[in-house]
Amino acid sequence: MTNPESMEEGECWAECLDVAVRIARTAGQLVQEAVKQEKSVSSKSTPTDLVTEADQQVEDLIISTLRERFPSHRFIGEESSAAGEKCVLTDNPTWIIDPIDGTCNFVHSFPMVAVSIGFAVKKELEFGVIYHCFDGTLYTARRGHGAFCNGVRLQVSKEKDMSKALILTEIGAKRDPNTLDIFLGNMKKLLSAPVHGVRIIGSSTLALCHIASGAAEAYYQYGLHCWDIAAAAVIIREAGGCVIDTTGGPLDLMSRRVVAAGSQEIADYVVQQLQPISYGRDDHDP
Amino acid sequence: MDPWLECMDFGVAMTKEAGKMIRDALQREISVREKSSPVDLVTETDQKVEELIISSIREKFPTHSFIGEESVAAGAPSALTDGPTWIIDPIDGTTNFVHRFPFISVSIGFTVNRQIEFGIVFSCLENKMYTARRGRGAFCNGAPITVSGQQDITKSLILTEMGFKKDSEHFRAMMANMESILSIPVHGIRAPGSAAVNMCLVACGAADAYYHIGIHCWDMAGGAAILTEAGGVVMDITDQPRQQRRRRSPPELPV
Repeated sequence: MTNPESMEEGECWAECLDVAVRIARTAGQLVQEAVKQEKSVSSKSTPTDLVTEADQQVEDLIISTLRERFPSHRFIGEESSAAGEKCVLTDNPTWIIDPIDGTCNFVHSFPMVAVSIGFAVKKELEFGVIYHCFDGTLYTARRGHGAFCNGVRLQVSKEKDMSKALILTEIGAKRDPNTLDIFLGNMKKLLSAPVHGVRIIGSSTLALCHIASGAAEAYYQYGLHCWDIAAAAVIIREAGGCVIDTTGGPLDLMSRRVVAAGSQEIADYVVQQLQPISYGRDDHDP
Repeated sequence: MDPWLECMDFGVAMTKEAGKMIRDALQREISVREKSSPVDLVTETDQKVEELIISSIREKFPTHSFIGEESVAAGAPSALTDGPTWIIDPIDGTTNFVHRFPFISVSIGFTVNRQIEFGIVFSCLENKMYTARRGRGAFCNGAPITVSGQQDITKSLILTEMGFKKDSEHFRAMMANMESILSIPVHGIRAPGSAAVNMCLVACGAADAYYHIGIHCWDMAGGAAILTEAGGVVMDITDQPRQQRRRRSPPELPV
């Protein structure tokens, strides 16, 4: 078998993307089976930050499959990181994996759960794959090659008028009074634009895919992780949208916060309304 | 012999037709108007779907009454009488429909002597047809569904909806309610955007409760039947049995 790293980079990443799609589907189908069964649940950083055995098994499957195929690549995975592996992005080809995005939804069989696989080289996000475990929808994008949903080209909403916008967000794991005050304050400000509405579906990656598909105009969140953003950022950008930091600057993948939108105008408006909530960084020691 | 089974079967057939009309409309440009506020939207499709449902049912059952969201908006009476009455939301989740965001449904509740006899909710993009006949259980695409059985509020997933409120006190109360619920803490809150779908999500155990202040009877009627037949509870927020017409006091559904 040809050593992938001796090939042209572009061809190599295309091959990696094909492998990512196959393993995302396999993992997603496993999750779909697991959702019908009894789940053993525990909590991580807070009582509302859940993890199950399935998260760990699915991540092991994805990483072991990829590692066998690409032995020199690096991996950042949600459960590996929880187990103490450092979450540092180097120049090496790096897979950034959320085995079950929407673990709380998974526990409840609420139909918004995804497998997310992102890939970065020289710290640049190259492609992303997100598989919707309940309905089998597959979102993919490769830098410079467009974004697709089940093979159909994705295009963000071109809406620039905030009063016609649908906004998505997620609550995050912290529930202390101070955090909730800021979280609800941010939401109230945006609702008061007034926007068409705010939706919360419980899966950051699928919510971000709805920005890419044009079904919503903006997404903002404090408290998500690099493995929630990595794949979706490529998908949104390739669909014509923007993905930036909550301060308005460029996306900081490890900062645990993001604003994504179909248009820069909407992104800028959202940034202006937000008070920050600190969740630390993925690349700091816990 | 079930006197209302024929009505229910006809209702399901009309709901499927309505769902097809909605899916077709999603392929085209959607023209939007505002009703009571900039966030209370209506489209031509809402009106066409309601006309389709009502005219078809009226032809088959000419003595029946109707309470439909768009008819009421156009000035039709909304009082519930003892006669057989169809309570219809042609598109529940119109904002989602305008944006092509998932969770859009057609909702029909049927009452006789002010009691709900059956409910039908069709979540069109998910292709999930929820039905329930009083005393006969609740189903999704023909498979029986039941509520989660969760009794521990700290392990529960709660549904609600949040939107701009012109009344500042109502707005303040909405945010305060979310804060109270999140502080318990619960596992999470979700806001998918369709009241009828929310009730069905509780009915099939995917969430444990739904609360909503400002819901309409046409949003509740179908879903309430389904949730009750799935083993759940539908109540007023004041802890009284829910009355069909008390919009001021919406349903709260602990399992």
